[in-house]
Amino acid sequence: MSDFTDAALAVRRRDKRSGRPVSSMARREARWGYAFISPWIIGFVLFWAVPIGASLVFSALDFQLTDPGATSFAGGDNWQRALSDPDTWTSLAATFRFTVLFLPLSLVVALGLALLLNSKHLKFTGLFRLLFFMPSMIPLVAGVLIWQQVLNPQTGWVNRLIGLTGVDATGSDGIRWFDNPVLVLFAFSFIGLWGVGNAMIVNLAGLQGIPTELYEAAEIDGAGWWRRLRTVTLPLLSPIVFYNLVIGSVLVLQYFVVPWVLFGASGRPGGASKFLLVHFYQEAFVFGNMGYGAALAWLIFIVVAVLTGLLFGTARYWVHYGTER
Amino acid sequence: MRTTSPLRGRGFTALRTVAAGAAAALLATACMDGGGSSASDRVEIRWFVGMGAGSDAPTIPAQEAVVEEFNAGQDEIELVLEVVDADQAPNILSTQIATGDAPDIVGPMGIRGRSTFPGAWLDLTPYIEKNDYDLTDFDPALVDFYRIEEEGQIGLPFAVFPSFMYVNLDLFDEAGLAYPPQEYGAPYVDAEGNERPWDIATMTDLAKRLTVDAEGDDANSPDFDPGEIVQFGFGNVFADIRAQSTLFGAGTLVDDAGNAQIPPHWAEAQQWYYDGMWEEHFIPNGPYGDSDMLNAGSWFESGNLAMGNTHLWYATCCMAGFEGSWDTAAVPSYNGETTAKLHADTFSITKDTEHPDEAFTVLTHLLGDAAEELTTTYGGMPARISLQDGYFDRVGAANFEGQDINWDTAVEGMSYVDNPSHEGGMPNFLEAEAVLSEYATRFAQEEGLDIPAELEALRADLQAVFDAA
Amino acid sequence: MTTEAKPTDAAVRRRRRNLLLSGCTTLGAILLAAIFLMPLGYGAATALKDKDGVSDPNAAILPVTSLTFEYEGEELDVYAVPMPDGEVRELALVQPGREASVFVDPEDPGAGTVEWEGRWRALDPVTGVDPQWGNFEEAWNTIDFMRLMGWTLMYALTTMLFTVVSSAVVAYGFARFRFPGRNLLFGLLMATILLPPAVTLVPKYAVFLQMGWVGTYLPLIVPQLFANAFNVFLLRQYFLTIPRELEEAARIDGAGPIRTFVRVIVPQAFPALTAVSLFHFFYAWNDFFEPLLYLAGNRDIVPIGVGLSYFSGVYNSEPHLILAAALLALALPVAIFLVAQRVFVRGIVVTGVDK
Repeated sequence: MSDFTDAALAVRRRDKRSGRPVSSMARREARWGYAFISPWIIGFVLFWAVPIGASLVFSALDFQLTDPGATSFAGGDNWQRALSDPDTWTSLAATFRFTVLFLPLSLVVALGLALLLNSKHLKFTGLFRLLFFMPSMIPLVAGVLIWQQVLNPQTGWVNRLIGLTGVDATGSDGIRWFDNPVLVLFAFSFIGLWGVGNAMIVNLAGLQGIPTELYEAAEIDGAGWWRRLRTVTLPLLSPIVFYNLVIGSVLVLQYFVVPWVLFGASGRPGGASKFLLVHFYQEAFVFGNMGYGAALAWLIFIVVAVLTGLLFGTARYWVHYGTER
Repeated sequence: MRTTSPLRGRGFTALRTVAAGAAAALLATACMDGGGSSASDRVEIRWFVGMGAGSDAPTIPAQEAVVEEFNAGQDEIELVLEVVDADQAPNILSTQIATGDAPDIVGPMGIRGRSTFPGAWLDLTPYIEKNDYDLTDFDPALVDFYRIEEEGQIGLPFAVFPSFMYVNLDLFDEAGLAYPPQEYGAPYVDAEGNERPWDIATMTDLAKRLTVDAEGDDANSPDFDPGEIVQFGFGNVFADIRAQSTLFGAGTLVDDAGNAQIPPHWAEAQQWYYDGMWEEHFIPNGPYGDSDMLNAGSWFESGNLAMGNTHLWYATCCMAGFEGSWDTAAVPSYNGETTAKLHADTFSITKDTEHPDEAFTVLTHLLGDAAEELTTTYGGMPARISLQDGYFDRVGAANFEGQDINWDTAVEGMSYVDNPSHEGGMPNFLEAEAVLSEYATRFAQEEGLDIPAELEALRADLQAVFDAA
Repeated sequence: MTTEAKPTDAAVRRRRRNLLLSGCTTLGAILLAAIFLMPLGYGAATALKDKDGVSDPNAAILPVTSLTFEYEGEELDVYAVPMPDGEVRELALVQPGREASVFVDPEDPGAGTVEWEGRWRALDPVTGVDPQWGNFEEAWNTIDFMRLMGWTLMYALTTMLFTVVSSAVVAYGFARFRFPGRNLLFGLLMATILLPPAVTLVPKYAVFLQMGWVGTYLPLIVPQLFANAFNVFLLRQYFLTIPRELEEAARIDGAGPIRTFVRVIVPQAFPALTAVSLFHFFYAWNDFFEPLLYLAGNRDIVPIGVGLSYFSGVYNSEPHLILAAALLALALPVAIFLVAQRVFVRGIVVTGVDK
């Protein structure tokens, strides 16, 4: 919604119906709007338009990275192959399986941690904020290496701790985190939750923006913790939660670095780590088949775009913006 | 209405800082850009390192010195060194090639590197003829190693890495066992003086006695606990499926007609390895092999592996952390035949280079005057026969001071190299490799597989990939 | 009397309740943090171990090392050895054997060696906690940290300033102004996030190659001047939560859009701007692939992510040194976070409207 006066709004509505040029006020607003977003438009034209267009062209070519001279036109072949490649469908399924598990988990944990860190009852908040954010500062690859050892079935701390409870977790018949298609999703989730710091900080920033008077008012009304959360915190935080939901889905649908460092393109165990982007990366960069890779990438784009579009569609039902009346 | 914010002041300060910082940074980047380009009449030749040895910190200064020396010695060519992390090197190189920004020289690089970029390399034959380049100082078999049917002579031999058995002497002492023989063809003489042929069976027997659990029971003991192994008897260090199988003899997965095959002796090798990992436990399986206890893959260096079969490069790349005493031993024979697989490194010129003549000049320099310095840096044995004398003294002095290691075993192993090479080409190479590594992970990570059935499935998968070539 | 005592009672009860709540919340947070940071603890413990400690299959969780004794030029491990007469002596293992081993008494090496029947592997080593602080020194000495950090700071701070300023400006445009094509342009902005970045890598490299920017920091820095879609989206969402009354008040006072943005929006959005700055800083600090791609030919100016990669090869099999280096590289980001996080203090931002 515009932040300019209702009068301007009324003028615009009228003009929309008549199809006439808009009022000078609205035109002025539009000019300012373009001015503010112009840095991005310039950057898009300079640095994005050509690469994006090129990648779309690639998808219609038989383009081998290592032999660009032999490139030829392939028409819809790459697209047809992408749709008939069984790996496309299994990687799509693997990606959705992980998304369904991890996305809600990470949203809840990020919100829960932010609420905890924003709690007036918590002492040493500065220290705790650092502790929970610290893993997010570690380079992802180094983090994966640490987790690989922590979850090692023989010598890892996790299995040793489980062993303390009397369950024999080590050994080849123990809990092998990286060798069971279900367990591995939990291993991925642990590693993913370790990097929840960013979403947590975003939530924390959002919580800062909630006027304290609203809590005070709710408290005077006798609202308990749960009701304050539901009636004050969540609605006012919803634009931020929406951000975390959209970005979280994009990132999880493009999940790549962790499975790649752990398993390469092998898909081990049982195809569970062959995510959409792993499939794309193997075709485009390992096999050097950029034409086919580009078709896959655009297919992934379509999947992610449709889902994100759906999320934006639901926003009007649950995301409350302060600017709306 | 009142807008209050104690942060308002901070907002302004921040903005001012931002503006000042932005201006300064713009200036800085402009300067960097200007400083980067130096006008020169020399032809620029880019040397790309990362497809093999050479991307580790200690090797960089020596390579920089070679470049500096070369540039100082003439005024036609400006040699530029590009060093890239080995894991990312294929991506960077393919991006550069695809955008027409290919480097001129790539190397050192194994036969695998060339297979990763099929069709990207220049056929050197015309340049060898034009310059009358003398090849007599190389073993002709090694020169042929780089002659690829459709692509020509895509490299020249630079360094060789024979393989041998690395033996942890302390672990043999602890078990009271005699060391394996260091001469090819010699028998194994045990502590009582009995002779046995140095073959897979004898080696398996030793390996089982050298595999010990936390209580000190070895793999032959009925009390042996395979869940608590603290020391393994044998392992093929950093080896893929084809490299492992070559212990049972050279072979290839491609038959004469271009179809997929599993050579029978490789099938036996696979069964032997699999049983060794999962039934008899003297070879580290996936979970043990990935753990810190075995240095997450660098098994022999951990001190918890008694016998490790691998190449000469392991001595310079990976033995820094080894504590104790070690020595070489011959590779055991199988069915009366001995095979000590070989790795060989080369430098290649990219097909897209704009200055092939200048690149060839640099190539011959790297293979000639700079070869002694570079092979010592990378840890390979010079392919140039005239440089081989004294090589091991230098390597031994640099890496294993005060230890008496019998390097003759390594040299002697060169008479038992694998032909065809275990790194040889396959149709649709990269996808075939992907199929192999998929099989290999299952092999190392899953218990209870039916290996003959797995191999048949592997053959069928390979066939499909070959057919798509 | 009673009417006066009542509130006091309630106050005491409330204080007690608050104290209890604080205790429980903090305790819960400590537990949670302990679980959460367990892998980091593993990393730290490993970074402080010596090489033997890392690959010892029965290693203790803490960086303990065996007591050693130097005998005839060799470092020997000391074990608690139960002797046949029932006494347990601390002896150094000279020559391990399967069923019988040779020991020497560190107290009295002159007395010669002792033959002992039994399995040395079943013995308990005599250990003491002995963190290897030298690992950090070794990592520090091997890696030119100061130079790497200098370039990394330059890269991270410059791009952070660029991206935060440009993204905030663009986000304000999308959040508060109405103009034809706004939804389409916003969709286009989001599309740059949705398309897997690896697919535009090759053409992007070609563009920068044409510009002659390969080999410099320009491909890494200049695009950040033109806003980043992730940041724009986050800031837009945040701006939308800010009540519009504040801006209207400023406008009535005669402030134009720029003034309104700087005076009203920026101070209100300080936590979000800090969050974006932090994210970008850590992203740039750890950035690896793109700097490697564009700076491969210019090793002297690479940032720390690339610099560390040249050393990971050496330390391939020495996880304790890799982790020591990684922890060293973490020191500066931790300090920066500690300073920056003060923004996220509950209640410091007085938003909203007096009513």
